[in-house]
Amino acid sequence: MKKYTFIIIALFAFFINAYLTKAQPTTKDASVKVTGEVTLPLDLKLADLQQFKQTEVTRKDRDGKDHTYSGVILSEILQKAGVTLGKDLRGENLTKFVQVTASDGYQVVFALAELDKDFTDRMIILADKVDGKPLLPADGPFRIIVQDEKKPARCIKQVSGIKVQFAK
Amino acid sequence: MKINKYNIVFIRHKGFVILVLLLLITALSAWTTIRDAIETGPYQLVYPANFGNRINVPDDNPTTKQGVYLGRLLFYEKKLSANNTLSCASCHQQDKAFTDGKALSEGVDQVLTARNSMSLANLLWTRKFFWDGRAGSLEDQAITPMINPHEMGQSLDVSVKKLSNTATYPALFKLVYGNETITGDRICKAISQFERTLISCNSRYDQYLKNAYLPTRQELNGMNLFMNGPNPEKGIRGANCAHCHGGPKTYNELFHNNGLDSIPKDVGIESLTGLAADRGRFKVPTLRNIALTSPYMHDGRFKTLEEVVDHYSDHLKESEALSTFLRGESNDIGGKTLHLRPDEKKDIIAFLNMLTDSTFINDPRFSDPNKTIALKKSKSNSK
Repeated sequence: MKKYTFIIIALFAFFINAYLTKAQPTTKDASVKVTGEVTLPLDLKLADLQQFKQTEVTRKDRDGKDHTYSGVILSEILQKAGVTLGKDLRGENLTKFVQVTASDGYQVVFALAELDKDFTDRMIILADKVDGKPLLPADGPFRIIVQDEKKPARCIKQVSGIKVQFAK
Repeated sequence: MKINKYNIVFIRHKGFVILVLLLLITALSAWTTIRDAIETGPYQLVYPANFGNRINVPDDNPTTKQGVYLGRLLFYEKKLSANNTLSCASCHQQDKAFTDGKALSEGVDQVLTARNSMSLANLLWTRKFFWDGRAGSLEDQAITPMINPHEMGQSLDVSVKKLSNTATYPALFKLVYGNETITGDRICKAISQFERTLISCNSRYDQYLKNAYLPTRQELNGMNLFMNGPNPEKGIRGANCAHCHGGPKTYNELFHNNGLDSIPKDVGIESLTGLAADRGRFKVPTLRNIALTSPYMHDGRFKTLEEVVDHYSDHLKESEALSTFLRGESNDIGGKTLHLRPDEKKDIIAFLNMLTDSTFINDPRFSDPNKTIALKKSKSNSK
């Protein structure tokens, strides 16, 4: 009898497990892949971003109002990936650019020197929050925010990839 | 008269001998015609400077005249389908800007395709193919409809065998690839070469950009609405179409959920990525020749451009994945929808008709080569 109970429980558990696995949402978490001229490719999820120092940038959005965005300075992420910044950003490395791609296919580029704090005080961050709240799904979960740039066109939404390349 | 046995044979079988000779001559002339007609060497892809040079030609498949010639034959080749009834051109007809006028298309098994046949134009600049962008090159794209059981439904191995057993193809493959071996890869490469030549750059809009066409007032109004985002505070009316469809090519390789459904039946890119933000997200297609490519959307749900413009103006369906660029755009202060006036909708459609390129849809370089040959023959017969 004990044996049958075990089999029944095992079968029940099997079906429940199959049901639960199927019932679980199939959706995955978005991430940002850092690739190209790097020594360590990265695939950053929202939680990974919290491991970096958090920085805030305030700028106007399309609505014409100031918003406070928080996230990580892009060059700190690139530094972790082993990109040539700081004392290594000289010579041919000055021909490098960073191509940022969004999940809607939109792409923008920054010269690597635009991101380096030895070149500029203007901050460019990979933001995950606006006014203390997570970005809306249609804008996030990751968005580049360029401090003080007049047009918001390079504040690219739904960032999915950051690729460092040499200009040919 | 002395009649030797050879003459007797000849007289007895005169008809047969003449027939054999005639056949030989025909075959020889057909052979030499093909050889003579095919130009070889690099194919010059000619396009306006404002289209830019961000073109997509793989290093291992440069465009050649002989490759394009072969690719065109293959594009129109029905032997590439399981029952010899369909070719690429069945769903991509030149007079309809390489679409088929149907919401969904019927394959060799009479089953409908999952999505609407896409228009082919300016693929030279395209980097992601299909409604969900899943193919990274024309070469990768071309194989899918050929082997899909609900489209042409034939494995490349069978296609290779069928083409190898023809009189013409082995020699053509030799001309293009250096030897007579026919492979699936070579078939896809040649078709891709032909497709890269499908450049549409002579619509009235192209002519306007070259200062060679003066638009009507209605077309100009439509163009302004198409290009501008609405700004009711400043009294600027707009439809902001150019945000996604802008530029001289009216194509930007973007992928958006354009508010067709709150809960989409076809989840689009989400089925590839598993990301909720990709739900109901599809390619923003080229608007080139858009007046010729009805019905519209990935499922062909809209029969007319009027329905399409009505959708964007008044009927966007809210969902989490709805494109951020379709939110809060309105010609009314505090409005939720574009809310275009009926005359403005007509103006936009007048502009969309400026994107029709009649040179492109009548270009003999892109037409069915079998028909061209038949036409040439009937012309020379009538002379």
